[in-house]
Amino acid sequence: MSQQTLAEKVGVTRQTIIAIEKDRYSPSLEVAFKISNEFGIPLEAVFNYN
Amino acid sequence: MEFSNKEKGLIASLGVTLLVFGWYFYGSFTNLRLSAEPPGLVEFIILIVLIAVLESIIQVFVSFKNNSQLADERDKLIEKVSYRYSYWVLSACIWFYMGHILLNTWFDHLPNLTTPGGVFHLLLLFFVLAEVTHFLTQLYYYRKGF
Repeated sequence: MSQQTLAEKVGVTRQTIIAIEKDRYSPSLEVAFKISNEFGIPLEAVFNYN
Repeated sequence: MEFSNKEKGLIASLGVTLLVFGWYFYGSFTNLRLSAEPPGLVEFIILIVLIAVLESIIQVFVSFKNNSQLADERDKLIEKVSYRYSYWVLSACIWFYMGHILLNTWFDHLPNLTTPGGVFHLLLLFFVLAEVTHFLTQLYYYRKGF
């Protein structure tokens, strides 16, 4: 899945997906859940808290 | 260094603001117009319209290259924080000016900035400084992360 596709499905811009990937932005719970739902895996498998 | 379209738009807006208002303030403060009458309304409106048109052209050009220019939660958060810094700068400038007015009544040797032209230019300068802070803070958070 491309960054643009994920961004459109989640409802954010591609730049926000890039920022999340590079650990430069912590998304809201809503966006985090949407991303994990898109991948079909639990939230803690996508994100972790350091 | 690669910039996103959002950052390019911000840099362009910052550049236009600095260029147009820099030119305006350079002319205003170096020609000793502080003690003169306030500038004409037409001159001021032309300046504001010029900036609005230039920024609109830049924004259209940037959004033409990128279809998804809608602001998401990150954009709104960064904008909110940048407005907070902008407010601090504006408040600091206003407090500075209020202090200057008080000191001016106590010390005669300070430059007099309380003429109508001086007040107009200084207030405009404060708003421009706040706007520049708004742009710079947004650029900082887009680049460094939030």
